Amino acid sequence: MSVRVKGLRFAYRNFILRVDELSFATGQTTSIVGPNGAGKTTLLKCVGAVLPVSKGTLFVDGEDFALLKSRERARLVSYVPQEHGAAFNYLVFDFVLMGRAPYVPIFSTPSAEDVRIAEEALDFVGLGSYAERTYAELSSGERRLVLIARALAQQSDILLLDEPTTFLDPKHEREVLELVRKLAAEKEKTILLTLHNLEMAVQYSDNMVFLKGGEVVAWGRAEEVFKEPLLRAVYDMEMKVIDWNGRKIVLR
Amino acid sequence: MEVARKFFRFMAVALFMVCGFMKVMATTHLAGEKRTVKDTLGRIIQIPDRVERILSLQPEITRILVALEAGDKLVGLDYFVRRDDHLFKIIFPAQERLPVVSKPDDSVNKEVVVALRPDIIFASPSELLVPDSIQQALGIPVVALSSLGSFRNLLDEIELVGRVTGREARASELISFFNENMNAIRQTVGSLSPERRPRVYLAFWSSLLRTPVDYGPVTAAGGVNVAAGLLPTHPGSPGAVVTLEQIIAWDPDVILVHGNYPPSERRVTVEQVVSDKRLRSLKAVRNGHVFYTFGYWYWWDPAQVLVETLYLVKLFYPEKLRDFELEAAGNTIFEKFYGQAGLFSKLGEALAFHDWIKEK
Amino acid sequence: MTGSKKNKKKRSLQVFLLVLPLLLFVISLGIGSYAISPRDLVGTLISTISPSSYPDIPPVYRDVLFRIRLPRLLLAMAIGASLSVAGASLQAIFRNPLVNEYILGISSGAAFGAALSLVFLGRAFPPHVSAFLFGILAVLAVIGIAGRGETASLISLLLTGVIVSAFFSALLSVVEFFASPYVLQALFFWLMGSLALAGWRDLAISLPLIIAGLLFLILFRWRLNVLSTGTDEARALGVHVQREKILVIFLATLITASATAVVGIIGWVGLIVPHLVRLMVGTDNRLVIPLSAATGASFLLLADDIIRGISPLEIPIGIFTSILGIPLFLFLLKKAKRVWL
Repeated sequence: MSVRVKGLRFAYRNFILRVDELSFATGQTTSIVGPNGAGKTTLLKCVGAVLPVSKGTLFVDGEDFALLKSRERARLVSYVPQEHGAAFNYLVFDFVLMGRAPYVPIFSTPSAEDVRIAEEALDFVGLGSYAERTYAELSSGERRLVLIARALAQQSDILLLDEPTTFLDPKHEREVLELVRKLAAEKEKTILLTLHNLEMAVQYSDNMVFLKGGEVVAWGRAEEVFKEPLLRAVYDMEMKVIDWNGRKIVLR
Repeated sequence: MEVARKFFRFMAVALFMVCGFMKVMATTHLAGEKRTVKDTLGRIIQIPDRVERILSLQPEITRILVALEAGDKLVGLDYFVRRDDHLFKIIFPAQERLPVVSKPDDSVNKEVVVALRPDIIFASPSELLVPDSIQQALGIPVVALSSLGSFRNLLDEIELVGRVTGREARASELISFFNENMNAIRQTVGSLSPERRPRVYLAFWSSLLRTPVDYGPVTAAGGVNVAAGLLPTHPGSPGAVVTLEQIIAWDPDVILVHGNYPPSERRVTVEQVVSDKRLRSLKAVRNGHVFYTFGYWYWWDPAQVLVETLYLVKLFYPEKLRDFELEAAGNTIFEKFYGQAGLFSKLGEALAFHDWIKEK
Repeated sequence: MTGSKKNKKKRSLQVFLLVLPLLLFVISLGIGSYAISPRDLVGTLISTISPSSYPDIPPVYRDVLFRIRLPRLLLAMAIGASLSVAGASLQAIFRNPLVNEYILGISSGAAFGAALSLVFLGRAFPPHVSAFLFGILAVLAVIGIAGRGETASLISLLLTGVIVSAFFSALLSVVEFFASPYVLQALFFWLMGSLALAGWRDLAISLPLIIAGLLFLILFRWRLNVLSTGTDEARALGVHVQREKILVIFLATLITASATAVVGIIGWVGLIVPHLVRLMVGTDNRLVIPLSAATGASFLLLADDIIRGISPLEIPIGIFTSILGIPLFLFLLKKAKRVWL
């Protein structure tokens, strides 16, 4: 499932996101990077139907996103926030089950099939045995995985992850990104994620988009686009990129 | 610096001692002119032996003051006697010159009170915290008094008010008049055995379930208040709220409904009680023994409560006072208290009581 | 404990909570100032169907049972269920466990409506209709002022609720000024929340709306889980957040206003009962909503039983729920960590 952005505008009070042309091909993983305040989360939220977009600016698999019903949108795109801000301490399983919302009629409760899909999603992220635990009992890394499981339960082909690795220790960082890779490989999902960690970004994505000040500075295949002059322009500082055993390392 | 500090400390101590000395002197000076009273809320207060400027927030006391011909000592009124009392304007026309100092929520405008410089303030005990708050804020003695349904208390009030206003003679006169009438009533009904006394439930105020736990006229007229002995809702309150089932359990012989309201303002009516299906098994309802009586009107009017007792004797024992004319007697009693003729009849117009006072 | 044993224990608890109000109802039929022995109670019940089997049941027993106790108990259950479900639903959509069913101004609006009716319309009109209308009006005012668009954040709704409540309280003081002391007494009695004169008419007025509202909220229960996770996340899950939030507020307001119009203000129920239920069965609203209805019904039945049983005096149930509610709430706060984040 492909995503195409065309002439997208989103304005906050002091900031405007302007994306004239951007596309994400099916089954590919794309990282959106840039300095703070560049508009990474905003862009993700626009694609994720969290922020409203105007007609003719966002096309998912050829369909105008703004014309779809919210339920239909949620079946196409799922969004994993950085952190979850609810007030109630749900069971992990009940939490993942919420991902079935686009499929459960408004005055109904989830069916046995919905339960099965939620179980599968939880298993996929490796937390199948955690079903009866409560959200508060989990570590940050585990919580992140549960959020991803919920997004998986939505069975959408497009998955958006907002800063999935922040606040995680290196081991869990890798775990999450490996999971992302697995999702792309086994489930052929089109994945967009925002990342701060450039090395991880370039290692785990097929494509990269560089945002600065609400505008796209560059985008394309990770290998091709990740160059020092670009990094300097985007981050306003000297950086050195070293190739080491096929891995790119950034020195600041 | 040290010297200055020592000096100030000396001055502070000296000032303190001087004030203390003065306070002692003040107390000693006034001690001979004060008496100690205990009010209805159990508060012990020192009040002056004689007062010239009275603020009454308690309509019962206001009415007593006027009956004692001490109305000229009033410096201010509460909102009720001005706005809601049926007869006060007629009884005491001078009231229109007096400022109203309280509001229906029983709050008091303290600044106006201070400006009026009363020697004493009479308050209603049903407002538990108001007497203390006014006394503490203004330093004026506040006495919370009410008969709470007892004739003994009513007469004690008349005596106390008479004493502090120098109208002892007039107070005696009214108390004797009251007692003479009470004796006559006692003789009429006194010989009745307890079984013959009707058991009475009083539905007062705005609800079928609110009832006074002690109501002198009923007991004096030879009835038995079924709610006697219950705890009132709070100290200083005359009434309790009972459950509907309790009224049915009591199965009173007579139900008396609060009749001091003009018909349009009555919240509980005899018709309502008689047609309420839940009460249809009560013998009072089946026998048609549901009547109005006067009841409180922000506590008592001493004349009205005497007439009410006579009315109830006539109601409970019609054969005893068969030829007794209530309205004429009522006018006489009111004239004794307030010096004007026809006051009871005027009350009748306000309450439309000719519908329910059955004159035979 | 093995998984299935734990599940069985959970199931039994849930069934118990569902059945409890029915048990209490049966017991409550025997409680009241008018003493009726259990044998006579059964006799009275049976004699309605076949009068011949119990011919010497005095008619007063039937009056007490069917005209006084029965409507009062049913009303207690309906009110308890309404306030609890309203509280639980609003807690879910406001994502705040401290929310109660009155935060959007219903109690102040209803109090003002009742006062208006008592003072100006007199005895002829029961204060129910006016109380109901102004309760709804208060919430409409809150929603209207706080904004219907995307900008209507939950904080702004809550703050507007506070302001609208204050406004109606001020208006109430004005109306009180015009009231005679005896009308004021009637008003205070109503404000304290009382089932004292509950009759079939009160049930007839309030029950249809309460049942309709409860039904829809119970059907909506799983959706409340989704709504309670946060606006952005709910939106990403395909939920039309604004619309559904308004729907829940509307339903909760309907049942709360219907309940309040008939018996006055009974506090703490919508705050305490849902939390009690969450402590027992967890936060999943599929369980919390229906069990709050059942437990709320039990709670009020129990409170009313205590009031009716201990004394011939009629203690307003609103005072009682406060007396029970405050220490209960403090106890719940200590256990809060288990269900609140």
